[in-house]
Amino acid sequence: MYTEIILAGFGGQGVLLIGKLLAYAGMRAGREVTWMPAYGPEMRGGTCNCTVVLSDAPIGSPITKSPHGLIALNLPSLDKFEDTVRPDGVIVVNTSLINRLPRRTDVHVVSVAANEVAIECGSAKAANMVALGAYLGASGVAEPEQIKTIIAETFGSKPALVTVNQAALSRGYAAGQAQVGAAARG
Amino acid sequence: MTVLVEKDRCKGCGLCVNACPTHVLAMSREINAKGYFYPLVEHADQCNACRHCAVVCPDVAIQVEHKGKATARPEALLDIAMHYCPGCTHGVIHRLVAEAMDALHIRERAVGVAPVGCSVLAYDYFNCDMHEASHGRAMAVATGIKRGRPNLIVFTYQGDGDLASIGMAETIHTANRGEKVTVIFVNNAIYGMTGGQMAPTTLPGQVASTSPAGRDVALAGYPIRVVELLKELKTPAYLARVSMHEPKAILQARKVIRTAFQHQVESTCFSLVEVLSTCPTGWGLQPTEACGWLAEHMIPYYPLGEFKTPEQGVVKETER
Amino acid sequence: MAKKLMKGCEAIGEAAIQAGCRLFFGYPITPQNEIPEYLSARMPAVGGTFVQAESEVAASNMLYGAAGAGCRCFTSSSGPGISLMQEAISYMAGAELPVVIVNIMRGGPGLGGILPSQSDYLQAVKGGGHGDYRLLVLAPSTVQEAADLVQEAFDLADQYRNPVMVLGDGLIGQMMEPVEFTKSIRPEDLPAKPWATTGAKGRKPNVINSLYLEGAKLEAHNWALAKKYEAMTRDVCRYEAWHLEREVDVLFIAYGTVARICKSAIALLAEHGVTAGLFRPITLFPYPGEVLAQAAERAKHLLVTELSTGQMIEDARYHLGKHRPVHFYGRVGGMIMAPEELVTKALTLVGRQV
Repeated sequence: MYTEIILAGFGGQGVLLIGKLLAYAGMRAGREVTWMPAYGPEMRGGTCNCTVVLSDAPIGSPITKSPHGLIALNLPSLDKFEDTVRPDGVIVVNTSLINRLPRRTDVHVVSVAANEVAIECGSAKAANMVALGAYLGASGVAEPEQIKTIIAETFGSKPALVTVNQAALSRGYAAGQAQVGAAARG
Repeated sequence: MTVLVEKDRCKGCGLCVNACPTHVLAMSREINAKGYFYPLVEHADQCNACRHCAVVCPDVAIQVEHKGKATARPEALLDIAMHYCPGCTHGVIHRLVAEAMDALHIRERAVGVAPVGCSVLAYDYFNCDMHEASHGRAMAVATGIKRGRPNLIVFTYQGDGDLASIGMAETIHTANRGEKVTVIFVNNAIYGMTGGQMAPTTLPGQVASTSPAGRDVALAGYPIRVVELLKELKTPAYLARVSMHEPKAILQARKVIRTAFQHQVESTCFSLVEVLSTCPTGWGLQPTEACGWLAEHMIPYYPLGEFKTPEQGVVKETER
Repeated sequence: MAKKLMKGCEAIGEAAIQAGCRLFFGYPITPQNEIPEYLSARMPAVGGTFVQAESEVAASNMLYGAAGAGCRCFTSSSGPGISLMQEAISYMAGAELPVVIVNIMRGGPGLGGILPSQSDYLQAVKGGGHGDYRLLVLAPSTVQEAADLVQEAFDLADQYRNPVMVLGDGLIGQMMEPVEFTKSIRPEDLPAKPWATTGAKGRKPNVINSLYLEGAKLEAHNWALAKKYEAMTRDVCRYEAWHLEREVDVLFIAYGTVARICKSAIALLAEHGVTAGLFRPITLFPYPGEVLAQAAERAKHLLVTELSTGQMIEDARYHLGKHRPVHFYGRVGGMIMAPEELVTKALTLVGRQV
């Protein structure tokens, strides 16, 4: 397996965090992993993205021009990265903040109103978890239970947050499975 | 009166809504092109033309027209979207400096020296010649420009790391030599651009990324009061401290900054204005909360006022 | 100890702690801020000391002081800050003090940019500061290697009584990878330094100094330093030879994170039926030039690739001689080459249609 994923949104949406969760899950599953944030000047009060690579063999470059997956939490992120995704790749679109769907027809799209779903689960801040869940459901790149365990460890001191985030992840996962799921995995 | 909001310039900081005394403005429910919520003019009939909304806006996104007179972007400030975080008062300070340049008609012979810090890109925003300096050395660069061409109006625009940490030697010696330059010192008690580290101006107990348990004065000493430090030098100077936390303070700052530049125009002395500024991102606060934090925590330690003038020398505490 | 996912900068900070270092002096500069930030919490937690100095000039002189007092200590910075440290580094080399200096390279020159680069190679290996001295320079390629080399750097610094530089870049500083720390040294287990300024009770005073006003004495001192660097060259040269057991069409010559990008390119080239290998210097000073020359004999085409306009290539060319072309592919300004770009360049070299 060799999968490159770009996670993108604006600063404060928790994009870097979900990238780290994905990397942790990969590491726990015995994979080689890298997590690389874009830390350039666009970070200050602006867009934010990170690249996660999950692999069975040692990883060369931690960044990519053609990811297998894209999680886009806001419109500028979709605008910036849509065309870089490989054919047959997966794009997760947060329709709460993105008012268009991908123009490409050769990728698998999960569209989910992540902010609204997150609010239903208990907090708008969990939109990132919804999007991550959607990506997992569509790509099968990690099991949601692995991520849920890490969520429990990460937010251990605040049980309410654990519940909210795990619920958000599950809702997203369901959407990812329903909309893409088996089709993407062939 | 008409209040005009250019919604796509807005970063959703909410300072205008907070500043309006008659609740003319309210935040929208829809996002603008940049993804921010923006202010709507909900109760135009309640406007009393105080212009506080235009005064506090860091992004020059609001103009107020009343009886034929309108607020406007100063000519010395280019029409370029500034990169500062939502609610950061750098934008307001830039506007005040530009207004001073316009009022004194000095734009065309002004040269600004930009620092290393959040305002590193200041050279993109001011409509005058600009020179980039390495971290802390802006006053040395300014000295070179002013000594080379004394008819130029030379100003530096520096943060607390630049001016009070790495540049401290240059700060003291430039003031001590009495270089006829004007220094705008932005004190937000933290390092912004590099991600929120402790600054020489960080308050005791204040959490920063290199003082995770709060500034411990036993290890890091007390915060430095630059204006108080410099006033002890014998060389005449104009030294003042102002704040950005509310419209009244901003309007006072506008006068003080103009006075500072006026001294250079008249070749009187070295002038420095310390401007207490917010850093919502570094402090982990919403913009309006940040203004409150500044008033509550910074002003008691960094009192406002004119501390030294060439006419009076050091101003007595009771007369500031 | 289980593997942890850590940022390169944090792993470097932790590695210093595991090496028994309890003193850090530094100053904020992107992209290495996580080193002082991490240590501002971790040093006090292990009874160590963290100081955010007023500038890199101050930090490097604090280092000079602490090292002279026999303490294991280190600093980190990036290009502009390392430039400020050059005077103190020269003093430390002249006074033969062990210190570790980490440079997380960014774009230059001047204020440059904050994105990764390898544009401080010449500054690191050819001096940087004034006078006849050299730094031992190590270049890691992964976060694990960064941790391992930082730990080892302290021992090498003590062994040679010389500053050691660990040269990273924004990529390795900011990325997270699994890392484990297998070796842990306690400060109390470190051997004493009889030459240090620990207090002259019961012995003649020690003086930490690099001033030799008499010509003959300064000359003797300089030749002694030169001998030390010859010993380093004999004993410490390190490199990685990747897929070089056989003859190859293309030999990539690269160090640091660029070397791992080459590995991706080598895998892609195999799909094109082009054989390629990598020679990766790990010590940049001393440069493993003789081994490189031997490896080059088994390659048809030589390609140096760096995040610079061409710095390490000067050392490569010196050892590879004038008889054959050494090609170059560089990206600068913080732009990073994709493996596909290296593939294209390699295919061009071997005469394939691209």
